[in-house]
Amino acid sequence: MSETLDLTLKVWRQPGPDASGRYVEYKLTEISTHMSFLEMLDVLNEQLNEKGEEMVAFDHDCREGICGMCSLMINGQAHGPDSGTTTCQLHMRRFKNGDTIVVEPWRARAFPVLRDLVVDRSAFDRIIQEGGFISANTGSAPDANSVPIPAPVQETAMDAAACIGCGACVAACKNASAMLFVSAKVSHLSTLPQGKPERDSRVQSMVAQMDLEGFGNCTNTEECQAACPAEISVSNIARLNREFLRAQLCSKE
Amino acid sequence: MVTKLAEKQQSSPSTGGKSATKWIMTLLSSSIGQKFVMGITGLLLCGFLVVHLAGNLLVYVGADAYNGYADKLHSMMLLPVAETGLFLLLFAHMALAFKLTRDNERARHISYQEPQSKIEEKPSVFSQTPMGNTSGWMFLSGSIILGFLVWHMIDMKLQLNPTVDYDGKKPYGIIVDVLGSYISAPIYIVGTIVLGFHLSHGFSSAFQSLGLNHPKYTPLIKKLAIIFALVIAVGFVSLPLWGFFIR
Ligand code: HEM
Ligand code: SF4
Ligand code: FES
Repeated sequence: MSETLDLTLKVWRQPGPDASGRYVEYKLTEISTHMSFLEMLDVLNEQLNEKGEEMVAFDHDCREGICGMCSLMINGQAHGPDSGTTTCQLHMRRFKNGDTIVVEPWRARAFPVLRDLVVDRSAFDRIIQEGGFISANTGSAPDANSVPIPAPVQETAMDAAACIGCGACVAACKNASAMLFVSAKVSHLSTLPQGKPERDSRVQSMVAQMDLEGFGNCTNTEECQAACPAEISVSNIARLNREFLRAQLCSKE
Repeated sequence: MVTKLAEKQQSSPSTGGKSATKWIMTLLSSSIGQKFVMGITGLLLCGFLVVHLAGNLLVYVGADAYNGYADKLHSMMLLPVAETGLFLLLFAHMALAFKLTRDNERARHISYQEPQSKIEEKPSVFSQTPMGNTSGWMFLSGSIILGFLVWHMIDMKLQLNPTVDYDGKKPYGIIVDVLGSYISAPIYIVGTIVLGFHLSHGFSSAFQSLGLNHPKYTPLIKKLAIIFALVIAVGFVSLPLWGFFIR
């Protein structure tokens, strides 16, 4: 197995939100298989910088798979070919010498391209602002074990809390639906005692905002679950549907 | 306890459902509410398919059994009510299918160069089509079913199939002619096979849309969907094949 790769990149370049974009081809040689995908893009940008060309803009922050900033559609797959992995944790050993790699931004009307591979994911922030929090005043920290939470409930909540808000679910869905993201947040907060008081209003507000932002509707293709780096399950979407129906039928308001 | 969110809700005109109509409008205008309706109408239509298939399989028993069934059915006082209900179900299902599909195309306005699935284990060979996963072409399969249903109505309700002589015939005579018609038989064969594909995704999808997902029964429902789709498709496809054979 060769330790370095020669690659052709086809990268979406778009100077600004309203500008038209196109794919630009770049050749890279001697890329170490130990590099992460983003380090490979760093190499490309250094070379572009040396030549005095505009560098490729892409989102990233922690580079250790926890912040949810990195994105990228790599050869038609959100976060690349590995399952349960963010782009920053994808390594170049996943590719072969001579490969052509197509790199595109997330595509969704609700996630407009800002520049090159960077999209505006503030629609997610606005959904969170509608109810992705707990506002009941819970006082000072209670004694340990004074608020009992059964282990299965805690597991459900913590599995859902693993969502890093990256938007790969929207990117991978043929309908650009945000149901997996919203269902993770609703499941996380509404199954725990601290989140229960706002259970009904939360799901109603968050779903209303989700619809307002122009995300699509779920058709249960389950591509989101397969693309999700945090491996959020579509069973959360069923819970979201249940919570929504429950709130519609039972809530006071 | 009045929380910030609850306050916001009470003051917001769209969700403060004081009146029943407002409440229903909120439900029916939301993405999830529309999926509920899609799922319920789809499952009720599945129920109709079972009854419809069972009745029509009586052609294999004989002319008397089939005519007896048809006469009983047509003498039912409530038949027009049931037919109207069925039509309304189908209409709601289709109207939402068009609306949701259009929304979805708008939401993903630009496609990728070569999108690739990350789903590792495909549910089953039956949910695979030459065009990929059945769930990806629910709208197309639905539209083909619609075309088939329109022709089915021309055959049976309007009785306008030019290759069939309807005059003075009993139901059995008509159905044998229709199933053996060289226009209807191919349409019925294609229509019902496509219906099977529609159901292989739709049946289990409906449960998910209605919020019913659990490790206890979801794998079972997915298997059941394939079996249900096969039974419906094979059952209905057998009719025009038989009709063509005895012609
Ligand atoms: C006998 C006729 C039909 C039956 C039994 C049937 C059944 C179903 C079922 C059970 C579902 C799943 C609902 C859900 O995902 O929640 C479904 C979805 C759907 N149907 Fe039908 N359907 C029929 C006819 C049609 C027709 C005529 C169309 C016309 C355009 C259509 C278009 C769709 C679409 C677009 C979906 C949504 C796909 C999705 O959300 O994944 N169907 N159908
Ligand atoms: S559900 Fe998964 S794919 Fe969607 S935003 Fe959260 S972590 Fe990303
Ligand atoms: S950069 Fe933080 S998750 Fe990838």
